[in-house]
Amino acid sequence: MSRRSDRSRTDQSRTDQLHLNAFLKPPGEYLAAWRHPDTAPDAGINIQEVLSYARIAEDAAFDAVFLADLVGVPFANEDVLSRVSVVNDSFEPTTLLAALAAGTSRIGLIATASTSYNEPYHVARTFASIDHISGGRAGWNVVTSLNDGEAQNFGLDAHLDHATRYDRAEEFYDVVTGLWDSFEDDAFRHDQASGVYFDPAKLHALNHEGKHLKVAGPLNIARPPQGHPVIVQAGASEAGKNLASRIADVIFSGIRDLTRAQEFYAEIKERAAAHGRDPDHLKVLPGLSVVTAPTESEARDKLARLTELLPPQVALADLSYWLGGFDLSSYPLDGPLPELPVSNQSHTAQQQIYEDARRDNLTIRDLVRRVADDDRTITGTPQQIADHIEEWFHGRAADGFNVIFPYLPGTLADFAELVVPELRRRGLFGTHYTGTTLREHLGLPRPAGRV
Amino acid sequence: MNTRTTWTTQTARPRRLTLGALVHGSGGHIAGWRHPDARPDGQLDFPFHADLARALERGRFDALFVADVVAIWGHQLDSLSRTGRAEHFEPLTLLAALSLVTEHIGLAATATTTYNHPFHTARKFASLDHISGGRAGWNVVTSVVPLEAANFGRDNHLEHELRYRRADEFVQVVKALWDSFDDDAVVRDKEAGRYYDPAGLRTPHHRGEHFTVRGPLNISRPPQGHPVVFQAGSSETGKEFAARHGEVLFTTQHELGAAQAFYADVKARAAAHGRDPAHVLVWPGLSPLVAATEGEARQRLGELQDLIHDDVARRLVQDNIGDIDLTDYPVDGPLPDIPDTNRSKSRRDLLLKLAHDEKLTIRQLAHRFAAGPAVSGTPEQIADHIETWFHARAADGFNVSFPYLPGSAEDFVDHVVPLLQRRGLFPTEYEGTTLRENLGLPRPAAPARQLQEAGR
Repeated sequence: MSRRSDRSRTDQSRTDQLHLNAFLKPPGEYLAAWRHPDTAPDAGINIQEVLSYARIAEDAAFDAVFLADLVGVPFANEDVLSRVSVVNDSFEPTTLLAALAAGTSRIGLIATASTSYNEPYHVARTFASIDHISGGRAGWNVVTSLNDGEAQNFGLDAHLDHATRYDRAEEFYDVVTGLWDSFEDDAFRHDQASGVYFDPAKLHALNHEGKHLKVAGPLNIARPPQGHPVIVQAGASEAGKNLASRIADVIFSGIRDLTRAQEFYAEIKERAAAHGRDPDHLKVLPGLSVVTAPTESEARDKLARLTELLPPQVALADLSYWLGGFDLSSYPLDGPLPELPVSNQSHTAQQQIYEDARRDNLTIRDLVRRVADDDRTITGTPQQIADHIEEWFHGRAADGFNVIFPYLPGTLADFAELVVPELRRRGLFGTHYTGTTLREHLGLPRPAGRV
Repeated sequence: MNTRTTWTTQTARPRRLTLGALVHGSGGHIAGWRHPDARPDGQLDFPFHADLARALERGRFDALFVADVVAIWGHQLDSLSRTGRAEHFEPLTLLAALSLVTEHIGLAATATTTYNHPFHTARKFASLDHISGGRAGWNVVTSVVPLEAANFGRDNHLEHELRYRRADEFVQVVKALWDSFDDDAVVRDKEAGRYYDPAGLRTPHHRGEHFTVRGPLNISRPPQGHPVVFQAGSSETGKEFAARHGEVLFTTQHELGAAQAFYADVKARAAAHGRDPAHVLVWPGLSPLVAATEGEARQRLGELQDLIHDDVARRLVQDNIGDIDLTDYPVDGPLPDIPDTNRSKSRRDLLLKLAHDEKLTIRQLAHRFAAGPAVSGTPEQIADHIETWFHARAADGFNVSFPYLPGSAEDFVDHVVPLLQRRGLFPTEYEGTTLRENLGLPRPAAPARQLQEAGR
């Protein structure tokens, strides 16, 4: 079931349509976004501002908006923390999502909730509630959380180890979906004449007793309009990929290399099939950070005006973060990167930086500049951006993109005005919503309930 | 951790009536959803709730309030399935959505301290306060329904005293988290590249009996400083807790004399804790049924009572009196002898005495519970009741529960509120922008920085 127009280019290998998700991190993904002259520095707690972003995305027929989350301020030195915005001062995502539900009418609404620091009964209820409020537009990004700063807000000294986290996450998912299925779809009759509010035969307690969780149920809300809100996951490790291919409807990835993205895409689809699923029902959406303008140089200039606003001490701290939290402030900026212990946080990111530094003979200062310039972002004309998207889409590296905006609303508005029409001209992306629920936008089936 | 809060000084305003409305889509009366003027499927209908909130705002209600239990509200399916108590929006998401479609009305919801974590609770209410521009309120409860425990991995409900100790620490942690940033700490100086002034950050580093929470909260101080704290304790421990933390106190007092005694008691307790009694508002419940004549209003209540199914009637009595199975007793017969239970004794004894003295059948007793604090009458009679209780210092305001929705709420807004306004009891416009301002409550100042340093 596709909501897009039927136009397709016969010379291309796929006829389905691209899915676009708008990653909203007010006032932008970049650490310096709040300093940009065109952003509202208080966007993290300014509802009208965030609502205006969601409406731009909705007017462009994005499938969904997405809200990331941390349940705590990550550890960093105080001076560095006081120079950044998002981690210090943002709405709690599910309350924000509910407000956005009331302020929009079509776009999907996805938020992050941690399985490590929540209770499944609350999570099941909250997303079911948003699904009812929004008429079936909710999605839950299942994360296991990242850092010790979060753990210490919940009575733990350090973050749970990787294996335990994923083990709990899988059980947590089973409990949440089991709770969503507490009532059968047609359990509620609201029959004034007979006085039957719901049919008790269509209510099922869960009575879950597992390794990590014990939850009796039932949930105190009717089955969500979508059956289950859309499940989003972003696992890249073996455990993460295994979980995502079993439970996720949408998988985000951070891969930027086309060949690697194609391998990841094929692997995930194969894993989904091995779980007995239709691979088309797991959408792979890599992240795509974009700055676009009518000319290439204008686009590059736009990004440069943003990156020059990043204070050097913040860039250095960011580099330290990607290296696994190792503090580099005592090493000479013009010297080489010292030997560091292996990171528990993101081994992949640390290795990549090491390899780059060795290969190109980079000093710490060079690396800081790289972090500041943030080569995650592609800059270009609308045609160039559309070429990239088309190449990945037709090359089966992506079913769509989780579009990341360096600063808001500027880079989102540019994308909506310039790139989206180009994608439409190429028959890749539709002009309007044809379904009402997020599952319908994404071409996903509605899960059957219990019988 | 320093938990001392100083209050901003402001000129005292004359005592005036305040009003809150209990919102549940199927109506406050157990059979309200069956009334012809009710929306039977309103409980999970957001546009219906939006219309209701706007109607209450038209009636200048200070706040709307969403009660909550983190479980289905009963385990006897034959009776539960005949009520609207098995489906609810999650309150914080409902209020956040309602904040977008209203401008003035306060938005309060229950969150339990027994089955939540203070970091999440502090954050969600702070977020709601920012989203709504300072209209959030938190009704602090310790939970009473055993079914809730089983949804959170526990076999039994926490014992009463322990629940309140946990609640006390929970509230302290939440307030410390709300105070993580000073009001003026978040400077957002683009030019200097300084988002906040590190001197104005107060990381709680809380280590207590029940919680270890480092903090800080990852959101600026709420517009109201602290969202307004609602409470409903009636036991000795509960009243002490309410007197220490509560700013609006719900109470189920039905009778004027008892209500006056309760009012005087909690105000005195608040004063004993060094608080200004004027900053603790007492709100008894009120279930108004408005009609053109008293007879018609009584008839309406009677019609509602007749819609209560026999199984629901038995269940109401069982729930109120204690764990006893009435399944095999005729609903139009008397109560059987009832053994002692673990339930709150004072209330149970009161009910048993009532049933005995007035020779009530199970059904008649059920009707008493279902009616709650019902006042059926003409708009004048209902306004008289409100005025009497207000002037007699039995109430600073009321938590109004409409028997069925939207009909009985619209009647109240259209016919009773204008009378209260004409009598000078109730204002015609919202005076402030925040819930605190509208209730006449001071905004808590952040703890002074030097106290924090000393307290470390």
